[in-house]
Amino acid sequence: MGTATANKFISTEIRLDALDRGFRRADIEFHGLDHSGASYEGRVYLNNPGADEKTGKSSESGYAGSYHIFGHGGCLGDEGHCEVRPRRLYDPRPAHPLSPARKVVIATAAVMRAMDQGKTATLTVVPVITSSTDKVTGNVLKFDEVVIVTYR
Amino acid sequence: LANGVALRPEVGHANIAALQDAYAKMQAIASTDNRSWIYWAGYHGFPRYLCWHHGRIDQSQFPYDLFLPWHRAYLVYWDHVTRDQNNDAILPWWDWTSDPSHQLGIPSAYSSPQVNGGASNPLASGPRPDMPDNPAGRTQRVPGDPADLPTPSQVQGLMGLTDFVDFSGQLQDIHDSVHGWIGGDVGVIATAAFDPVFWAHHCMIDRLWYLWQLANGVNNIPLSYLDRTLAPFSYTVRDVLDISRLGYSYVVASASAAGTA
Repeated sequence: MGTATANKFISTEIRLDALDRGFRRADIEFHGLDHSGASYEGRVYLNNPGADEKTGKSSESGYAGSYHIFGHGGCLGDEGHCEVRPRRLYDPRPAHPLSPARKVVIATAAVMRAMDQGKTATLTVVPVITSSTDKVTGNVLKFDEVVIVTYR
Repeated sequence: LANGVALRPEVGHANIAALQDAYAKMQAIASTDNRSWIYWAGYHGFPRYLCWHHGRIDQSQFPYDLFLPWHRAYLVYWDHVTRDQNNDAILPWWDWTSDPSHQLGIPSAYSSPQVNGGASNPLASGPRPDMPDNPAGRTQRVPGDPADLPTPSQVQGLMGLTDFVDFSGQLQDIHDSVHGWIGGDVGVIATAAFDPVFWAHHCMIDRLWYLWQLANGVNNIPLSYLDRTLAPFSYTVRDVLDISRLGYSYVVASASAAGTA
């Protein structure tokens, strides 16, 4: 799905007809999320590309749920401190603390509504910054992929 | 305490005077002393960054997340460091889903600027070390609207999850939201643990894991997690699953009287 580097993310059309309709739970999974900067709430909307910080959280607005990032608040080390590198084979230390995060938004009702509306949907993420520092920029929203999954 | 076991109470029923005494002493100790506030709070974010948040991939490409066990171990160590200063200073939990929290936000024990007698309240802020472009000072908060704190129905939904990884991820997200709600120094990983309310917040997180364990089993965690170490603490994940082995329990309140001895 690509990486969003601006303050708001709008996906390409996601094929909902590829999903199973008989699900009991639907999740929206975000993979490869950056959490090095400010803390924020990522508000997720389906079929509302115009959503912004002022858009409410009603089902009519397409609101599907939120995830929250507890950010590191920027880099307080010297050059290279926040560079995520894979560990060597016998390195006993855990992976870098800034290894990308995964977040799951349980969005069963919202996904069901979107499936009732059509065969495809756009997904919008509106980040609302909750806490920041002088060490970060406003462009907090960076991730590798968003996936809708269903479970029976 | 009950027979040596620390009964962690709800904030409204805690021995706040003992906690104020212990925290004031820790905050007054030089930061280079290994009994000090800054020394121990510095394990979480700046400068040591040993905390666990989110999953990581090990050398065999296996994803795992030690968020809950790592913070449980950290709380046990913190509890003892605190009680070294005052043995009656038991960590309390802040129920941010409660009606008072949804009306007033942070409990008054942690927000009143002064204690009885007019001294500064050591639970309202903590010392923060000298940081790049940010000279040493006291922690600050910028709390949001109390109505935006997590709700009982959110916690109820959480407790309905039966898989540990699923539960841990959703609980961590609620945890993240409260950090952002408190804001200021508590709102980012680098400085969060220097603020006293961090510990009451994390006690609530640990309590919710404990309550979930009561319903879903103490050993309900992926087997591959069990022998992972919780550095820098002398525990593995296996060691921290059963809190009865760690010398504490969760209550709302307690009352006691001396026996015949």
